[in-house]
Amino acid sequence: MTSNPAVLRRRAAIELDEAVALQLHKPKLRPWIVFTLTVVVAFFGMIYSRISLDRTAFELDELEGRIAEEEARFLELEVEVAQLLDPARIDQAAAELGLQYPAELVSLEVPAIEAEGLDPGVRLAQLDNLLSAQP
Amino acid sequence: MPDVRLALVGAFFVLVWLGIGVRLVDVQALNADAYADRGFEQRVRQEELVAVRGSILDRDHQAIATSVDALTVIADPTLIVDDVATAQLLAPLVSRTEDELIDAFASDRRYYVVQRGLTGDEAESFKLYVTANNIKGLFYATEPKRIYPFASLASQLVGFVGGDEGRGIEGLEYRYDEELAGVPGRQVVERDPYGNPIPQGHHTVEDAVHGSDLVLTIDSQIQFTAEKMLEEALLDTGARSGSVVVLDVQTGGVLAMANAPTFDPNNRRHAQPWIFRNGAVANVYEPGSTLKVVTVAAAIEEGIVEPSTVFDVPPEYVIPLEPEPKIYQDVGHEDTLAMSVGEIVARSSNVGTILIQSLLGNETHHEYLASFGLGTSTGEFPAESAGSLEDATDWCVSTCGPSTAIGYRVGVTPLQMAGVFATIANDGVWMEPHVVDAVIHDDLTVDEYEPVSRPVLSKATAQILQRLLMGVVVSEEGTGWRAAIAGYTVGGKTGTTEKYLPDQGAYSETDRIASFIGMAPISDPRIVVAVVLDSPHGENEDGDDLKFGGVSAAPVFAAVMEAALHDLGVPPDAP
Repeated sequence: MTSNPAVLRRRAAIELDEAVALQLHKPKLRPWIVFTLTVVVAFFGMIYSRISLDRTAFELDELEGRIAEEEARFLELEVEVAQLLDPARIDQAAAELGLQYPAELVSLEVPAIEAEGLDPGVRLAQLDNLLSAQP
Repeated sequence: MPDVRLALVGAFFVLVWLGIGVRLVDVQALNADAYADRGFEQRVRQEELVAVRGSILDRDHQAIATSVDALTVIADPTLIVDDVATAQLLAPLVSRTEDELIDAFASDRRYYVVQRGLTGDEAESFKLYVTANNIKGLFYATEPKRIYPFASLASQLVGFVGGDEGRGIEGLEYRYDEELAGVPGRQVVERDPYGNPIPQGHHTVEDAVHGSDLVLTIDSQIQFTAEKMLEEALLDTGARSGSVVVLDVQTGGVLAMANAPTFDPNNRRHAQPWIFRNGAVANVYEPGSTLKVVTVAAAIEEGIVEPSTVFDVPPEYVIPLEPEPKIYQDVGHEDTLAMSVGEIVARSSNVGTILIQSLLGNETHHEYLASFGLGTSTGEFPAESAGSLEDATDWCVSTCGPSTAIGYRVGVTPLQMAGVFATIANDGVWMEPHVVDAVIHDDLTVDEYEPVSRPVLSKATAQILQRLLMGVVVSEEGTGWRAAIAGYTVGGKTGTTEKYLPDQGAYSETDRIASFIGMAPISDPRIVVAVVLDSPHGENEDGDDLKFGGVSAAPVFAAVMEAALHDLGVPPDAP
């Protein structure tokens, strides 16, 4: 053990250099860890997205099936409506209810509404004039 | 020695790895595309997407014919555990008998259609039944099924589809099959061995093109009334068959085209094939007195006669022929009568009309008959007849003119005769009768009917005819008084002709074709109704002979016309 300050300084300098050298030659793990983590995340992310896409595809498939079912149901209801509107069915139902076609026609004249075209009386008179105008 | 064995084992593994490597290179590099294609072909399936057949709609867009998805039940007999028990369970629910099912299930085929066309609740109930009874070996497929919601309404006009492909085979279903059928689509999809689509797999779809919808001019209410009245007329008069045509005067649109007897296209298995015939366009008959309007109209239009021109009309018109003369007779008078043209029309005088035609001449007469649309078809209806109208040059000099004047020697359809009266009602303008008003395509573009028209008479002549036809209904001598409708002025013409029997080459001694064709309201004609009955007979409650058009057909006309006027909201015009 020396107490020479110069030697001590020299030894301290050497230890410092070694420590620095050791520090400098220490393997750089962080980038690798980051890289590995990125790859792993990307890998699982890809798998997850693939699964999500598959799940979405299944859901889409199911929805398309339901749309087809609803469309078919809609068509069936349309047919049902048409069958309910069948004049023969309505006629039969009316007969069962005892409804009858009115024996007498009653026409209502609404003064505020002007009839289109010539008054029927005028038109018939014109037709008669056509006949009587013949020599 | 151990070294040798080690070397051999090493060599073996080297060779194995080498083989695997070579195969790997072959599979992954050299023939990669070929193997990929083979795999793809095994997974991928090309499937046809069925095009939904277009609907046939009435003028209010109510479906007369439409298509729905229906369930088809298919059996794989090799998967059915107990043939007899399964057949016993299924037989009550399907249209096949128990024996048929047992035979089919005992066979070694793998595809047997148990039932087609189950819809709605029927299909659901069937599936629940199969599940509840644990029936194995059944599969389901969806196929379109044609439904006619109004059953027999306009069945001869609309027709029906048939065969596995559901193609139109009668009526408008046949005539417009190309438009209605649409274009099948195609999808290419990757499926797993169980038939499930592979998510993210190859999937291309070429959508099917929905068949076009036909919008008809038919009014279902008027059509129903026409059919109902016609059915009642057949019961009341004993007529074999009949037709009613209702035309919109201004457009030529067919509001109703009824034939009786009729059938339900949803269940036509037991219907006689002749009932499928649309008699309103396919049945040709000699129109008789209803054609006299053309003779009179032509003579007035040509200035040969006036409505007030008076003829001395004998009860008979005799053409001396060998071995026996041809005699045309009038009904209702035995002495020569002075009749105006108006009276000739009102009394439906054969001899008077022949006298008018003799002044008109065959050639001019023929021109007018052709102008009114006789001798040609519209081409819109399947099995539509053009009728028969000989060229004027082929007319004989003796009887052809007189016979044609009173409606013989000319073959017409009820639709053609309705067109003649619609021309008079439309102030002399002939509008082509048509039944398809629009075609709505899958892309919602619409092809609307382009009206076809031509002037035939002047307005003045047409209006004179309208007034003369009114006389047939309202005058004391008129033959068509049963066509009168309360509240409306009506004009029309009766017709009664001997029925020609083509197989015998002679006229029937007993059977007649009775008709009435007319228009209303005369103050502004909107509707023409033509009624034709084949062989009515017997008497009505008043003791009148039903073989006459004025007795059997005119009441049908009145009922149908009244319903049509009310349905279309035509205001009354009679005082």
